[in-house]
Amino acid sequence: MSATAELVPSGGDNLEFLDVGGDIAARSPLQLFWSRLRRDRVALVSLGFIVFLIVLAVAAPLVVSVLGLPGPDVQNLNLTDSFGSPLGPSLSHPFGVDPLGEDVMSRVIYGARISLEVGIVGTGISTIIGVIVGMLAGFYRGVVDTALSRFMDVVLSIPILLLGLGLGAACSVRGCVSGLIQPGVGTIIFIISLATWPYIARIVRGLVLSMREREFVEAARALGASDMRIMFREILPNLTAPIIVYGSLLIPTNILFEAGLSYLGVGIRPPTASWGQMIADATPIFSTAWWYMIFPGVALLLTVLAFNLLGDGLQDALNPRNAR
Amino acid sequence: MRSIRTVGAVVLAAGLALLLAACGSSGGSSSTSTTASGASALSTGGYKSPLTEALSGKRGGTLQVLQETDFEHLDPGIAYFSVDYAVIFATQRPLYSQKPNSTAPTPDTAEGQPEITDGGKTVTVHIRKGIHFSPPVNREVTSADVAYGIERGANPDVANPYLQSYFKSIEGMPTATGGPVKGIETPNKYEIVFHLSEPKGQIVADALVLPLSAPVPKEYAEKFDKNKPSNYAAYEVATGPYMLKNNAEGKVLGIGYIPGKSATLVRNPNWSASTDYRPAYLNEIQVKIGGTSTVLGRQVLEGTNIVQNESAVAQPNVRLAAEKFKSQLEISPGGGAHYIGVNNAHGPFKNVDLRKALWAALDRASMDKARGGELVTNVATHFIYPTINGFEQAGGLKGPSGPQFDFNEHPEGSMAVAEKYMKLAGYPSGKYTGGETVTVVGSKGSPAEQDAEIVNETLKNLGFPTKFTLLEASTMYAKYCNVPKEEIDICPSVGWIADFADPQTVLNITFNGTTITPTGNVNWGQTNVPKINKAMAAAEDVVGNEARAKAWAKIDEEIVEDAASIPFDWDKQANIEGSTVNGVGDLWNVGEWDYSYTSLK
Repeated sequence: MSATAELVPSGGDNLEFLDVGGDIAARSPLQLFWSRLRRDRVALVSLGFIVFLIVLAVAAPLVVSVLGLPGPDVQNLNLTDSFGSPLGPSLSHPFGVDPLGEDVMSRVIYGARISLEVGIVGTGISTIIGVIVGMLAGFYRGVVDTALSRFMDVVLSIPILLLGLGLGAACSVRGCVSGLIQPGVGTIIFIISLATWPYIARIVRGLVLSMREREFVEAARALGASDMRIMFREILPNLTAPIIVYGSLLIPTNILFEAGLSYLGVGIRPPTASWGQMIADATPIFSTAWWYMIFPGVALLLTVLAFNLLGDGLQDALNPRNAR
Repeated sequence: MRSIRTVGAVVLAAGLALLLAACGSSGGSSSTSTTASGASALSTGGYKSPLTEALSGKRGGTLQVLQETDFEHLDPGIAYFSVDYAVIFATQRPLYSQKPNSTAPTPDTAEGQPEITDGGKTVTVHIRKGIHFSPPVNREVTSADVAYGIERGANPDVANPYLQSYFKSIEGMPTATGGPVKGIETPNKYEIVFHLSEPKGQIVADALVLPLSAPVPKEYAEKFDKNKPSNYAAYEVATGPYMLKNNAEGKVLGIGYIPGKSATLVRNPNWSASTDYRPAYLNEIQVKIGGTSTVLGRQVLEGTNIVQNESAVAQPNVRLAAEKFKSQLEISPGGGAHYIGVNNAHGPFKNVDLRKALWAALDRASMDKARGGELVTNVATHFIYPTINGFEQAGGLKGPSGPQFDFNEHPEGSMAVAEKYMKLAGYPSGKYTGGETVTVVGSKGSPAEQDAEIVNETLKNLGFPTKFTLLEASTMYAKYCNVPKEEIDICPSVGWIADFADPQTVLNITFNGTTITPTGNVNWGQTNVPKINKAMAAAEDVVGNEARAKAWAKIDEEIVEDAASIPFDWDKQANIEGSTVNGVGDLWNVGEWDYSYTSLK
């Protein structure tokens, strides 16, 4: 066995020496990233849970039918007692039922769809907007930067929960902007995208500001590359790591935001199952139906925890200098 | 009359537009003692009810009251919320009021029944001698105080919510602004005469059970009524056995009533038992406002000299009481009616057969189960609800009978009958294929929310694409269900409480086409059937309990036949009390505690 030092670019321009055993082999950034992530058990378990959740959400109808559960909207008041209180966990309804006799397990599984949809799509949209705006501001500097940065400041100073409550209520029956913003998932994704893109934009702007002075950008410019090409083909690939890290940390925030809005009654609307809304419904009857709150609550907790831990893991793996 | 769980603004607008009531000329009341209305509808499954409570009790002691909601108004000229009424009727004495176990008016500040003469155009009431205002006014009540109490209701800074509904026919009332009204005359200290422009003496006399007829001392209240809005409530005096605790100047606000926090009722030192039918056992009533209903309920059930006063006690606590504290639970029938407003004027449900199909398909029993089951509900089969005169005549618990009412015969829902009506409506598959999306706007919070979801699911089962929204009850009413131009197809969470036990107060404003208004509309289905409108106009003039019951029961049947809206629940109010309380609820309001009859063991 010979100890060798290998020079590997990491995170764009970070250089790092790694001890590797066996044959000397050049590693791609991806391989290196994976080898680091693989050593982070917590992140791996979180990743596993998220993959499991995604499979569960995508295959929800199949999972529910394989488990022999009724659909999430199937009401059955025979599953409530003579006072209208829902019955607790049993073999046929492992997580119990809600006040309409709907199966809580089935609704928790379907609820994962909403949480992931809002978390991933909402984060995706805000990341795209954030990257574009941040790139423009950082690349062009001057007036463009000032205008866009002040605009970000304005957006960041909007009280987002109040905006959510207001929009949720105002768009609740007929939608808003001639039906462009539909109540429910659409409104929530809109609010989340609107509220969170400046976070990404600010980070991207800062990175672009420093990166645009680098030699490789100078070289591209000397070769006659257009601004667009420099921004999206030269600079953007170098920003992948921070974008992934911040994006993955934004997902759980957005999931919690959806749960919060749904808890307050302006988010996802019944009969669509949402964890936040289930927790809200369960609050007044907790003394007689604890299962209605506990199961969606645990699902929410685990999901948010998993995304957070994975985000931390990704940060460590992509940017090991950033010791936590 | 009040829409359930709203009051104030909604009803104000409704009341202004209302064209209530011409009744005939002879005396007597159109309200009835509820003993006439079917025992089965009033049965409470072996639990105590206002009808079974012993009205005797031990004198003395302090009762603690917990309530989640604050009062809306404690001014007798404004109060219109059931929770307010609990304090109002312990501190104020309108001309008439009701004993807890009856819906018949009992003379209170009045000395006897009202005399309706002059072909229904004059109402004369004699005032009882020896009633005194609480400190700092202290003097005897006269007819002028009753006159001022009613007149100030027209003051825009008082703005009584039902004045125009019931008292508009008093000469000069439509243009009154708080000053003397031409049609209210006080020939002597103990007599008040109402001169009417139309023969509506019966409804005017009936409405004297409302708090507006409670005497208010002009020389004392006038200065407060000049404020915008009036702040008389902050200094109000009492005529009842209790008064809101005040200081030497009469100030109540911050002393006997701290908004959002507490209210303290103490004995009115100027009250004389010989002038009143109320026993008034308790020495003091301390109301604590705030908290969470579920938590308050547990405190009450595990406590002693304590009750909860809520428009609806939380379901888990009703269950807990029924299972473990049976003697601490009282059920009061006659808590109002819940129904589904179905848009008769716009959208798919203009078609009567589609309305009947929805009615037939709905599992109303499940909807009631979600409200807490048989203990607190009866499946509604028509609109005049238990404790209201005409309930039995309108079909009692079972509802109107005949083959044309087959859609009403399956409380648990019947898809077969629904299919029949879908076919009649022109949908041979039994499913709606018209393509119109049905807008459903319901009320948030249990159990209204669960009911709305059941309605939504039923609509989907019938093939209707739906747009389903749940809003705060106040928004649901004020912005959508009460506004016809919003064209909401289904309002699954509406409800109605009568102001007094006459069937006209249940049906007229809610189903008469002439009462539809652009905002504040409580004819939720926008029902406008010439035949029904005409029948109502005629029934308004009918005199006598039996005749009125019959006339309005017939109208009820026609409304059911038109499936104008879908009733699903006749509410019973559950009240809970601590172990040493001998609580008495009322039958005539929505069933809340009557502090003048409640005592400690």
